[in-house]
Amino acid sequence: MKAKIQRLRVVQLAMACLAVALLTATSLQAQQVTTKGKIVSAKDGSPLPGVTVQVAGTTQGVTTGSDGSFSIDAPAGSKLVISYVGYIDKELKVTGANAGTVELNEDTKTMNSVVVVGYGTQKKVNLTGSISTVNMLDKEGQPITNVSNALHGTPGLFVNLGNSQPGVDRATIRIRGVGTMNNSNPLVLVDGIEYSMDELNPNDIESITILKDASAAIYGSRGANGVILVTTKTGKGASKVNYSYYNGMQKPTRLPDAIWDPIVYMKLKNQAVLNSGKQQPDYSDAEIAEYEAGLKTDPIVYPSNNWFDIALGKGFIQKHDLSVSGSSDKGQYRLSLGYMDRDGILFGPGNHAKNYSLGLNASYNVNKKLKVGITLDGYYRSYTTPLYDDTWNYLFRTLPILTDQLADGRYGNSWLRTPGRNNWENPRMLAFNGYSHKYVQRFLATIFAEYKLPFDITYNIKFGADKYDGLRNQFTPRMQTFNPKTGAATNWNSPATAPRTAKTDENDLNIHFYNTLNWQRTFGGVHNLTAMVGGSYDRFSTDEYSATQTGYLDAQLVAINAGTIRNNITGAGLREDILESLFGRVTYDYDGKYLFEATFRRDGSGRFAPQNRWGSFPSASVGWRIDKESFFESNFINMAKLRFSVGKLGNQAVDLYSYEPTVVLGQDYSFGGTLHSGGAMTSYADPNIKWESTTTYNLGTDINMWNNRIALTVDLYKKRTTDILREVKLPDQVGNLNGPKKNVGTVDNTGIELTLAYRDHIGEVDYEFNGNIAYNKNKVVDLGGQILYNDGTNLSTITRAGIPMNSFYLLEAEGIFQSDDEVANSAFQSNATRAGYIKFKDQDKNNIINADDRIIVDASSIMPKYTFGFGFNVGYKGFTLSGFFQGVAGIKIYPTANLAFPFNNGANATWQWVTDAWTPENKNARLPIVTESTGSKDNFQPNTFWLQDGSYLRLKNVQLSYNVPSKWLSKVKISRVNVFVNAENWVTFTKYKDFDIESIVNASTLYHYPMLKTLSGGVNLTF
Amino acid sequence: MKKFVFLLIGAGYIATGCNKSLLDSKPQDRYLESTFWVSAEAANAGLVGCYSILRANGVYGAAANSSLPLFEETASPNAYNYGNTQGYNSIANGQQTPATGGVIQNRWAACYGGIGRCNTFLAKIDNVEAIDDATKERMKGEARFLRALYYNMLQVHYGDVPLILDPPDPETQSDLARTERAKVVERILIDLDSAALVLPLKQSAANRGRATKGAALGLKARVLLFEASPLFNKDNDINKWKAAADAAKAVMDMAGSAGYKLFTGGYRQLFMPANENNSEVLFDVQYMFPDQGSAFDLIAKQYNSNAPLLDLANAYHMKNGLPITDPASGYDPAKPFENRDPRFYGHIVYPGDRFMDETVTASRFALTGFGGKKFSIYDREAPPAGQGDLKDGQSETNFIVLRYADILLMYAEAQNEFAGPDQSVYDAINAVRERVEMPVIENKTQDELRAIIRHERRVEFAGEALHYNDIRRWKTAEIVLNAEIKNWEGDVLEIRKFNPNRDYWWPIPQTQRDLNPNLEQNPNY
Repeated sequence: MKAKIQRLRVVQLAMACLAVALLTATSLQAQQVTTKGKIVSAKDGSPLPGVTVQVAGTTQGVTTGSDGSFSIDAPAGSKLVISYVGYIDKELKVTGANAGTVELNEDTKTMNSVVVVGYGTQKKVNLTGSISTVNMLDKEGQPITNVSNALHGTPGLFVNLGNSQPGVDRATIRIRGVGTMNNSNPLVLVDGIEYSMDELNPNDIESITILKDASAAIYGSRGANGVILVTTKTGKGASKVNYSYYNGMQKPTRLPDAIWDPIVYMKLKNQAVLNSGKQQPDYSDAEIAEYEAGLKTDPIVYPSNNWFDIALGKGFIQKHDLSVSGSSDKGQYRLSLGYMDRDGILFGPGNHAKNYSLGLNASYNVNKKLKVGITLDGYYRSYTTPLYDDTWNYLFRTLPILTDQLADGRYGNSWLRTPGRNNWENPRMLAFNGYSHKYVQRFLATIFAEYKLPFDITYNIKFGADKYDGLRNQFTPRMQTFNPKTGAATNWNSPATAPRTAKTDENDLNIHFYNTLNWQRTFGGVHNLTAMVGGSYDRFSTDEYSATQTGYLDAQLVAINAGTIRNNITGAGLREDILESLFGRVTYDYDGKYLFEATFRRDGSGRFAPQNRWGSFPSASVGWRIDKESFFESNFINMAKLRFSVGKLGNQAVDLYSYEPTVVLGQDYSFGGTLHSGGAMTSYADPNIKWESTTTYNLGTDINMWNNRIALTVDLYKKRTTDILREVKLPDQVGNLNGPKKNVGTVDNTGIELTLAYRDHIGEVDYEFNGNIAYNKNKVVDLGGQILYNDGTNLSTITRAGIPMNSFYLLEAEGIFQSDDEVANSAFQSNATRAGYIKFKDQDKNNIINADDRIIVDASSIMPKYTFGFGFNVGYKGFTLSGFFQGVAGIKIYPTANLAFPFNNGANATWQWVTDAWTPENKNARLPIVTESTGSKDNFQPNTFWLQDGSYLRLKNVQLSYNVPSKWLSKVKISRVNVFVNAENWVTFTKYKDFDIESIVNASTLYHYPMLKTLSGGVNLTF
Repeated sequence: MKKFVFLLIGAGYIATGCNKSLLDSKPQDRYLESTFWVSAEAANAGLVGCYSILRANGVYGAAANSSLPLFEETASPNAYNYGNTQGYNSIANGQQTPATGGVIQNRWAACYGGIGRCNTFLAKIDNVEAIDDATKERMKGEARFLRALYYNMLQVHYGDVPLILDPPDPETQSDLARTERAKVVERILIDLDSAALVLPLKQSAANRGRATKGAALGLKARVLLFEASPLFNKDNDINKWKAAADAAKAVMDMAGSAGYKLFTGGYRQLFMPANENNSEVLFDVQYMFPDQGSAFDLIAKQYNSNAPLLDLANAYHMKNGLPITDPASGYDPAKPFENRDPRFYGHIVYPGDRFMDETVTASRFALTGFGGKKFSIYDREAPPAGQGDLKDGQSETNFIVLRYADILLMYAEAQNEFAGPDQSVYDAINAVRERVEMPVIENKTQDELRAIIRHERRVEFAGEALHYNDIRRWKTAEIVLNAEIKNWEGDVLEIRKFNPNRDYWWPIPQTQRDLNPNLEQNPNY
């Protein structure tokens, strides 16, 4: 037994010796070497302080200094893991050589980043709500003129740009459908203060967070349409100067194919007039013959004008941004200046915009407990618009026979009498005379302080003042057009009211104040608890007036006191909208595994009668990190989270003072030549109105797979909006009053959102794909028995229980009548109906086509069922190619009037009416017989024939950029040079060909500023 | 210490969260209804609000796109509205439907707007202590007159309409069905009779435009004449004609004390702003520059949206009183516009005429060749300085709703139907003809005289928004609106159609039937 023990000891000793020998050998082989380097952000080259550099598999590590530099000793051949919150980890092999500059890529996709939420921030990994984020760094270099235009393609958002006029080209944003018949715009806060995101220089924005579910409930009565939180940039790391510039060229994406051949136009117009039942053509044979002969000799009297070519050219855009920023342990600062200059596509000075922005964001750590700061976002914008609001309408009404200018430069009209054209609108005259200038100064100034109290409590206070001053100056000179044949003058505007000057001023001052107490503590290492309570006060005050003066001698002096006759003065007086709130939040998580959050808000609003002012808006949400459970073992799935939220949100969308019946003035009448002031009630009011409230449920999951290469997020939601405030239409017999706003109705939005990202690399090629698709189903559940027709739109729509809001409500077109016999044997439409006209279905079989034969088309006119976006990003060495597609599906459009319909009240028609219209010889035509759309209502009464698919897919942006290698730059003291080219809106797939599809969703006409496609390029420098 | 200051601020603020007065804010541009009806000024403004509906689109609105007084002619053989403004060409062509917008919708809405205001005024005025009783009664008379005028406009076009006499109340009024037309008319007559009792014979210069006793009785005569006419008086109850004649006679009897007589300053001048509120005017709609102007001049000069048709031009007889179709009339087709009834030149601008100091070419008014100038200041001579190009809202000529010539011809028509051609009938019609130096009428049969009176009304009131309703009430629309319309050279412009089983009555607007399903539709829509 003893011998046995001894043998064992020998073995042990031998083994120990062997081990020592081996260890010694290893340590001899792997000497400790020092690695030095500097960690910078890949995006802008700024040094990153506080980055962890750790030897893989050990606890040995260092953090970078304020200039991003580090120095670490590690065995040669080992690996260094570089990690930093919000950035993607990177590994370095220890070779003995210095690492030089190491770039870290920001991590916006996985769950390590921090997300801004209501009154605070949260780690994305701990989120229990449905939140999308947009990192503006991803949009660097794109010609984004307004921030709202950067949100196209964000999951769950319907973003639509209807008007591309420089200065007012702001997108409409709908988050998860529309749940109200009132204001459907989301609440936007900039650094915690309600503000317009479009009054900021896009380059000053760091990130945008979109709260889509109960996570918005902390904003209570304003959160029902979703909340968008904009965070501005702050200084990070060592001081640096950044300059960026781009320059671009713009063109309309698509214009209607109007008939610009004067002879074709006149002949087709004549045909249309006769087909409409009139007995005389508009243009006689003699006039057409004269024109045909004159075309060859006199282009002034007999023009063949393509007015789109004349009036529309290339637009230009350029932007400069300069910023200085930095941070240290004492604080941070960022100063920025921006300048954008745009000249639009319309000729003349009426579409020019200039934006000057100034940003300041600074904070200072006074001592260990107190931090103070200030932000200032200042925008000075000026833009011009065409003097006459109807300029685009006029341009879309032009005819090839309209003379541009006479030989001596006077503006032409036409010698051909054309019904509907009593006073020819010469687009050149309107574009080049007079002006309409808008000047906007808007400043958001905030000061804030943060103070650390005992017991881990932090007190935050923020005060913000948002000042808007918008002044419009307009001068309207006298304008005349001249008959190109006779030289006879026609006054375009009345000498009695032109020249005139008009000034309109709007002055808003919005005061915001909130303060919060925050508390945070971890118990037993696993119980993480936070709490926050706060209160806020918001006051929005608006005042405006406008004045018009006439009696000017000429167009030389334009000041308002240079005229002699006051013409019109209006203004509604100061209006105040006051909101007071209390709110709070509690979060708890057990070791990051079980997550819980609850919020509460109580809002009081001056928009309601005293007894209905206060409303409460609670929410709760839970999350479960399944991957943290011990039973969960997967090498494939790296992270899996389930989350659920429920909350109540409100909408106070009711006009000020609308809870009480009022008598309005201005119902005047004159006796004996003297004006007498009159008053009357013009609308009925319901004193019992209260908040709209939305209850929202969200079930979501986030899954990261395959070493985080794949990130999948799925959200299912249901939003039920109740007590919807809307004007109850009264039959006119009740005093022809506008109905009262009442709490009627319930609307559901249910949907699913799916986002998927995949990224990997093949050798040195990094690539990434991401895509999202969202489906939203809108349904009116109850409307108190009401049926709303054409609600808030010029389109023929119906809103009632059981169908989507604003569904199209139309006669059903069955085809085209092929013979007069067929007309006679069909239900009576009108006494004008004849072969070639559209045949409508007699739904109630009573042999007469009338309003009872309308059908509901299962498609909302305002919200698409599907929104989607997908993009790619491929990087190789310094090159990056990125592209982004965006689109919608499941929405119908119904464009009407000028150029959408033929010969609308003296307007032109499109070429398809020459080639594709029904004639006795062309019975299989796509279009009915050509008629005037005004004179003959038959074919153009709202019917399904003209309903068109509004779906599209657009290559929103494609960008190629190149980062100049830093080794070339170090000599010239530039840390980063990035050059890029962009193509925006360049390719669109859609069935609709007459105009840009996106710009006419929910618009009933084509005539407005066309969507633009942009080709731009620029450079981004960091010193 | 400092931290407690912060705490106090925070806690203090959180505590103020329930302070109610912080949320109070009041409008500065309107009154609360609950406190409005107190002062005399407020009550006066309330009555002015009842009048202001006269200028509304749908009543006598007069903007370029809603000049109903001028467009009303275009639904008759008198004129043509090429652009279908306010749906009038649809009505002329028998193509109006419940969904036709324009006047069919606007008239319904605007008249009920006026009725609602009158009802509110009548309900509230008694509680206004700042006004003496006599003034209150006079003001109530004005409101009743206006309510009658608005109801009359409704019943004449739509037939049965809901009769509402209380202030607007959605609870009780939203689902009211149409009231039998006879009951509406009965109420109109009650309102007019009671208004006539309290309204003054004349209004002072400062109050011109307000209703008078003559206006109330004149409107009563019009209401009763319609009631007696074939469309409304299906059994030809002769007593209805008597009632109409008596009502017109009542106005004629008070002409002396009220100062009514035919204006003698020239037929064309009757419609000029210089002669507004002249002795012939019983009631007119007041227009005023710059705040409340019309587009009458713009339409006359440029829009031509009330273009007279050849049928109207040919309807004017020769100066010698003979129709142009009479071989003895002296009508020369080569010079068709010579030697015509002077009233022709008082309204119609024709090729070869002078207009605004220029010779009128055939293309000057290209729609029919004719222009209509009644109620415009523009005439043969150059326009007054600075007024050569009046635009929308800049014309101030009042629109005459009721004038004494109408009373005379109403009397002649009713009396001729009731009693046959007695001397009073000849006197009335000849007074109107003699004013324009047309030969007198004598020795006619009742039937001959009926045709003459109808013709006389057409040419006397051309351009005054009366003919469309005249052809309706005479039931001649099915003849004259089933016809070609022609331009000055005789070219056919359109072929109008009229379905007598449907088109005499306007459809109830679809929007209203959608909101109130109890409103039944008129036949065959």
